[in-house]
Amino acid sequence: MAEPLTDDRDLLDRVRRGDPGGAGELFERYAPAILRFADRLLSDRATAEEVTQEVFLKVIARANQYDGRASVASWLFAIAANACRDRRRRDRRAPVVPLELLPDPPDKGEGAERRLLDRERRDAVRQALAGLSEEQREALVLARYHGMPYAEVAHILGISVGAVKTRIFRAVESLKARFHQAGEAPGAPRKGETSWNAAN
Amino acid sequence: MECRELTARTLDRRLGEADEDSLRELDGHLAGCRACRAEASAIEETWAALGDDRDAEMTPEFRERSLLLLEDEMMRLRIRAFRPKPRTVPNLARAAALLLAVLAGYLAARGLPGARRKAPEPPTAASRLPDLSESPRLSNVSYRPADKEGRIGVSFDMSSRQDFVARPEDPAMAKLLSYLVARNAETAGEKSRAIELVSANYGRSGAVASPDIVQALTATLRNDPNPGVRKKAADALASFRMSPEIRGAFLHALRNDRNPAIRVVAVDRLAAAAKEAPDAQTIDTLREKAFDSQENGFVRAKAASALKAIDL
Repeated sequence: MAEPLTDDRDLLDRVRRGDPGGAGELFERYAPAILRFADRLLSDRATAEEVTQEVFLKVIARANQYDGRASVASWLFAIAANACRDRRRRDRRAPVVPLELLPDPPDKGEGAERRLLDRERRDAVRQALAGLSEEQREALVLARYHGMPYAEVAHILGISVGAVKTRIFRAVESLKARFHQAGEAPGAPRKGETSWNAAN
Repeated sequence: MECRELTARTLDRRLGEADEDSLRELDGHLAGCRACRAEASAIEETWAALGDDRDAEMTPEFRERSLLLLEDEMMRLRIRAFRPKPRTVPNLARAAALLLAVLAGYLAARGLPGARRKAPEPPTAASRLPDLSESPRLSNVSYRPADKEGRIGVSFDMSSRQDFVARPEDPAMAKLLSYLVARNAETAGEKSRAIELVSANYGRSGAVASPDIVQALTATLRNDPNPGVRKKAADALASFRMSPEIRGAFLHALRNDRNPAIRVVAVDRLAAAAKEAPDAQTIDTLREKAFDSQENGFVRAKAASALKAIDL
């Protein structure tokens, strides 16, 4: 992941010195990515927002623990990955209402059909991602959606590069089989707005 | 290159991890292997299909709420940093004081032989709770679940490490917990843990919550910027006996909280109370929600079925 390394460390120094502006800038820079990451791992927007806030509160509390061995971005994603795992463990103990399953208010007007189809496709991908193991999903999301090289994913997840490759390999094999089973070729050029659904 | 390497090599190429030689070998192999061409195409399509999952976008409300939360957190840390450090006592003076204490203890034991046989009185809970009237900062807070005698524990740093153990119904414990929930939690996580301890030991699961605890939780439900913390406060309050204060907080949450999971808790608790003793304000609010086309469908449906169950 391309990042302005020096600037990030300067921001973290400002956080260490108690400058609220430093924390704010760090949030502006990385919260959108952390939110996307948590949203894909947890499949629940409200929980993803909570976890994103938790990550930055932890950054403030632990700014002195950053040792500079990894980029600030990797450090943030490692905190986020742990926070997501903690949250999933906690939610397994105390199930909550899955907000993604809550229906939206009725959508009317132009473009409603397109949005519905987009939503169907997105839901199908989400279901397929949810069918992967937590480890496979973490590695795949970091590589596919955040464009991170194997080495960076390995650092964030605290595993070897070989293990990252294996997880992504297995994730893609599993998704391929799942999409194939659904009967349509996902990602293939679609005629008109034909939607596809992954198997449940 | 062999056919079994296809997926790994295709992924390497997709992720920009393949070197020139590897790319050449892959292209060469695909040119001559029909099965692998089909397989590579399926992998590419799978990879492309993942793009149908749109990125979650940060809403202005979430951004604003989070920045306020972070600023608040930073300000609190700054205030703590400016606190005068405890006066350092030179090691020599400390050693001398220790020696004097040992000597005094020895002399007292010799002078009062009966004292040795007398079992020391366990200090009462109230006597061990430090003075909170000056709003001291309690940090590094940790909690212990109930022991065999039903006593829960809270440890924290003040000027020194404090360990406070008492039963939940002890007013001093209730005071300490409400203090932690209302005013002292340093982070959303600390606040959440304090609320979890309250949930585990008061209401349906234990003692009757004191007015201090109810006030701390209702204030949290109304005002805390973190939806996770508000949800925990709502869950804790839902297990308490209904009171006007709790009803007011749930009505406020149902009308104003932007998190549907919290509004669902509010509907459930208000509906359960209204089934036992219907009140006009609750019924009106549930009716508004049931017919509000802008409301989340799940909350609307819950409000509607709650109304059906209430004997109007």
